[in-house]
Amino acid sequence: MKLVIDESRCKGCNLCVLVCPYGIFREGTELNSRGVVSPVLDRPERCTNCRLQALYGRMLCGVCHMICPDQAIAWVEERPFEPHRVEVEF
Amino acid sequence: MIAPDWFREDRLPHIYCTGCGNGTVLNCTLAAVEEMGWERSETAFISGIGCSSRAPGYILADSLHTTHGRALAFATGVKMAKPDLNVVVFTGDGDLAAIGGNHFIHACRRNVDMTVVCMNNQIYGMTGGQGSPTTPLGAISTTTPYGASEPAFDLAELAVAAGANYVARWTSYHVKELTRAVTTGMQTPGLAFIEVRTQCPTNYGRHNKLRSVPAMIEHLRSHAMLVEKRDRLAREGRPIPEGTFTVGELVRRNRPAMGVKQ
Repeated sequence: MKLVIDESRCKGCNLCVLVCPYGIFREGTELNSRGVVSPVLDRPERCTNCRLQALYGRMLCGVCHMICPDQAIAWVEERPFEPHRVEVEF
Repeated sequence: MIAPDWFREDRLPHIYCTGCGNGTVLNCTLAAVEEMGWERSETAFISGIGCSSRAPGYILADSLHTTHGRALAFATGVKMAKPDLNVVVFTGDGDLAAIGGNHFIHACRRNVDMTVVCMNNQIYGMTGGQGSPTTPLGAISTTTPYGASEPAFDLAELAVAAGANYVARWTSYHVKELTRAVTTGMQTPGLAFIEVRTQCPTNYGRHNKLRSVPAMIEHLRSHAMLVEKRDRLAREGRPIPEGTFTVGELVRRNRPAMGVKQ
């Protein structure tokens, strides 16, 4: 599963930045095509829901999904063999 | 999106301002509805006038957008005509406490079987930030430029006193607890009243030094006190901090209810 922000709905309130326990959402700096500064994702593969939702068969954390007033946060299925940016933390 | 079957996706994005808590409450209520497993044809959403009352317009089910303050009166009518319907009322503080105050206490007294979700943003948000009956003492609004001088209504305690079967209060920060409370309210026969303190950064926060959305949420979070903690403090004789409000389940009881599904 992959975490995505729907840019056509996000109004840039940054509530997800406040609630995410992993700090995946970061305040954005650039305006998008609708004139909204929507948050950016910082290593979204750390999200527990991305990794384990299929294994457990239910929503795991999902607080950002729940608190988003604009219904802009969702998890979508990845296409097979989608490239990942792998970062090793020391 | 939390309950894709229940949203009118073509209506989104909704009209609420950036960071408005009403969208969160809508998410939590629909998550609770989905958890209850209600059929779309057996559910009706009813609302009055105000920001919060726009919510049923984004839900794919039967809805009534009624006159100001009369949402509960219309909902009582719906429930009496068709007791098999599951009735959910979305209302705001200006709608429920100010113009519809009498309908509110009498719906609680009659204990009509429905779920009332009150999005209390402590101001008349849609009309430009006038002071409402729930504006806290000292808060600046466009009609109270020197600070509100009247004490505020405590809606949840009012519902307890008027006789509702289930009363809870949460904030739009406590999403999981709120969803659980709404689900419990839907399961309880009789009137379930859930007051949700929401943030209104545009018309409340802007005048009260809480301009950003995280600042308003932090204010809500830090001023919420669990009922259990309040009771413990009162038992130990310690002072209850100024400006806090209680959150949690205030009452759950089994008074005779009206219009319960057979």
